[in-house]
Amino acid sequence: MTAALGRFLILASVFVCAAGSMIGFAAGKKRSLDGLQMARRFAYGFAVLMILATGVMEFALLTHDFSVGYVAQVGSREVPTWVTIVSLWSSLEGSILFWGLVLGLYIAGATWLTRSQHVDYMPYAIGTWLGCATFFSFLIAGPANPFVSVPAAPDGPGPNPLLQNHMLMIIHPPFLYLGYVGMTIPFGFACAALLRGRLGHSFLRPLRASLMLPWIFLTIAIMLGGWWAYEVLGWGGYWAWDPVENASLLPWLTATAALHSAVVMERRGVLKGWTVTLVQASFLLTILGTFMTRSGVFNSVHSFTQSSIGPAILVFLAAALVFSVVLLALRVDSLESEGKLESPISREGMFLVNNLFFVLLTFTILIGTIFPLAVEAFNGKQMSVGRPYFDSMVVPVGTALLFLIGVGPALPWGRTTRQQAIRSLLLPFTSGVAVALIGFAAGARNPWTLVTLLFGGYAAWVTFVEMSRGGPRVLRRGRRRIGAYIVHAGAVIVFVAIAVSSTMRTSTEVRLKPNRQSTIARFAVTSKGKAVTTLEPRMNQYAAMREPIGTPDVHSTLTHDLYLSIMNIDPGNQTVSVMMLITPMVSWIWIAVLMMGVGGVVALVPRRQRVVRQALQEDIVPA
Amino acid sequence: MNRTVLIVGSAITIALVAVLFLGLGKDPTAINSPLVGKPAPPFALTSLGGQRFDIRQLRGKPVIVNFWATWCVPCYQEHPVLVENARTIGGDVQFLGVVFNDSEDKINAFLRERGSAYPTLLDQQGKTAIEYGVGGVPETFFINRRGVIVAKFVGPMTTEILQSNLSKALQ
Amino acid sequence: MIFLFFLLVALAPPQGRPLSGTALEQRTQEVSSLLRCPVCQGMSVADSPSTVALDMKHQVRDMLARGYTQEQILAYFVQSYGQFVLLKPENRLIWILPILILIAGAIVVVTTARKLSPPAG
Repeated sequence: MTAALGRFLILASVFVCAAGSMIGFAAGKKRSLDGLQMARRFAYGFAVLMILATGVMEFALLTHDFSVGYVAQVGSREVPTWVTIVSLWSSLEGSILFWGLVLGLYIAGATWLTRSQHVDYMPYAIGTWLGCATFFSFLIAGPANPFVSVPAAPDGPGPNPLLQNHMLMIIHPPFLYLGYVGMTIPFGFACAALLRGRLGHSFLRPLRASLMLPWIFLTIAIMLGGWWAYEVLGWGGYWAWDPVENASLLPWLTATAALHSAVVMERRGVLKGWTVTLVQASFLLTILGTFMTRSGVFNSVHSFTQSSIGPAILVFLAAALVFSVVLLALRVDSLESEGKLESPISREGMFLVNNLFFVLLTFTILIGTIFPLAVEAFNGKQMSVGRPYFDSMVVPVGTALLFLIGVGPALPWGRTTRQQAIRSLLLPFTSGVAVALIGFAAGARNPWTLVTLLFGGYAAWVTFVEMSRGGPRVLRRGRRRIGAYIVHAGAVIVFVAIAVSSTMRTSTEVRLKPNRQSTIARFAVTSKGKAVTTLEPRMNQYAAMREPIGTPDVHSTLTHDLYLSIMNIDPGNQTVSVMMLITPMVSWIWIAVLMMGVGGVVALVPRRQRVVRQALQEDIVPA
Repeated sequence: MNRTVLIVGSAITIALVAVLFLGLGKDPTAINSPLVGKPAPPFALTSLGGQRFDIRQLRGKPVIVNFWATWCVPCYQEHPVLVENARTIGGDVQFLGVVFNDSEDKINAFLRERGSAYPTLLDQQGKTAIEYGVGGVPETFFINRRGVIVAKFVGPMTTEILQSNLSKALQ
Repeated sequence: MIFLFFLLVALAPPQGRPLSGTALEQRTQEVSSLLRCPVCQGMSVADSPSTVALDMKHQVRDMLARGYTQEQILAYFVQSYGQFVLLKPENRLIWILPILILIAGAIVVVTTARKLSPPAG
């Protein structure tokens, strides 16, 4: 009964989305306001259906209705209620339903916020959104149906044990979905601009705001993924260049590039086609990321749900790619540039270089991730592309980007005189040299780390000066600028913390007899003179896995982390090998990424109210 | 119509979709061994009973080398299959078990409880396992009369898989 | 230990100098971080706690102590595990492609900047 109700809601959703999408495109073509009104109702309809379907699923989970396929798969009477609630996204079918819910809320929200504006573009945007929603509704209705009726069992197996293993495993997926799914909204706006054949100044704001919001979620999600890997996987690192980690990074890189090129577009009226391309790419890369995570084609520590929805996602990805490329090829020239750049040695010039580096990073990581697949398809030989490759490729580009965080804002808009250039480069560089010297004194010897400290000190100085310019007045009027500089400050700290933590850690491996186990803690602590903490790294053997899984224990402080992880248990000699790591500055990565998120929020929030009023005035010119 | 955009976009689309399409259905954990078709890496190991086995002295007879350990769960599943087959065809085919990273006491207890029908060799610190490119246990290699590896199988052995791979070694 | 010796004879004689002490430990860490743990998911031998990885790391240490070079050790593992075991791929194309993209991108940026800037003079 519950299952049937769920299936009905999802089927209804497939029809609502398909119809709404067609109405949207038709209304766009005919420039019909009635059609737009109708498309809006379908958009709200989709959201309502998704909320109801998710409600039905949560009801089934909470009432332990094991006649519903998904509940039989992940439910259990044994687990606490909060686990039951979050098990909605613990397995494939439920997580796709959750995706649908998030998409519904995003589409409804975007439709509501633009309810009386941008009537030129909105029918196409809603049409595109609902087109994507049709695919996801189809996915929930068919290949990943959580509402299958099954013979009711008395109890179920409960969700994946990894979900209960760590708190981060519960909050990471929602953030990732909020980031991934949210990219649909700017994609719709970008496609609408192309379909309409123009991108007016007022339409920039919804485009940028809708990009900023998922960017914030994605930033936090990437950090949470790394944090989870650090706390759980036991090798002492937070980023392994694993395919799924790369998948979450790719759309983030293009979205970051788009947020930057949008600034140039706003200031100078150029780079419209390019910004639209980046926005489209960000959406397409989220679909690619979903494919990477869900198809089972990639070998990853994070893809614990592998499934048969791979082909369906690939078809959608191909369709979306073709749609985007054709649309772009047909219409990109109609988004002609209105303005000019004065000189390449200027702030806008640096934005171009920034975009070059972000796109280079995107391509490099994409190539590194799928290259083994390509080679195997080509000649059947298996190969790996791992951390040493990505590190040696990404570190130089990342360092260059850090330099740009400094030099970009230091240069004025328009044209730079020799004097200005010298002033903007030399003075802040003294701060860079100071930071690098402090690092050297603290033991940094790796050349890349020293360069990072040098550029980091430089960029930090510039960021600080730019932030404090204009005084308290800025807090009221230039919040978007302040937000951007908070993000930059966070990014500078992340760069430095990554460089320091990855090159300056000390690692010791000790072999211990069982009765001397207590000395691990004491050993770690004698260097400090007093007992700091007791850590309990574990090693669990699961029946289904070939190798036992170790769980490390971490003691975090602001300056350094103490990390204990069991490397192996030798039953023959009755010894345990414990890896001990002392890694500086790891906590700063999490803190600084949060700071980037906060900066994003600062840049996003106050803008919106003003947008509504201004845009209202500019856009009440129905064609 | 912007031709550059169309050409670059199409190239990226086709390349990406083609690679992903060809990757569909592939098991990313399956690793092809470069050793198949090559001479078996030579080894000489001591058995539980203290006897030395040099694989090069076994030329002229097909050899089945099974890498396993008592801490490996699927090894428990496949053990009876191997023992039973060794009892029936052990005259024509040399079965060898190679245990790595394990204690002799545990192996002895395992074999006492579950029976044994062929020599069990001790591979200290997995040197031989590395020579054979062993990842996880169990892994089984089929070597023909001329000492060439003809097949490798990863995972718990069944009689059907054993027979079909052995026929390659008998050719 | 005799059998171990003849296993290694299959390779050419060591071409480096034998290491010991902290230099040995450091090089072991460096070389094994270039090797992929075959049972893990993209983790290196240096990072993985799995049994096979520990054995492989042990083998790396052993070979370094005997004076084998990094190239020889990697070649030794490729022999039994294939190119799959190398985290830093030998394939040239994957190293060249990003550089080509950088060059192409730089050209695009420069031409764009020229096109968008007013003519000099």
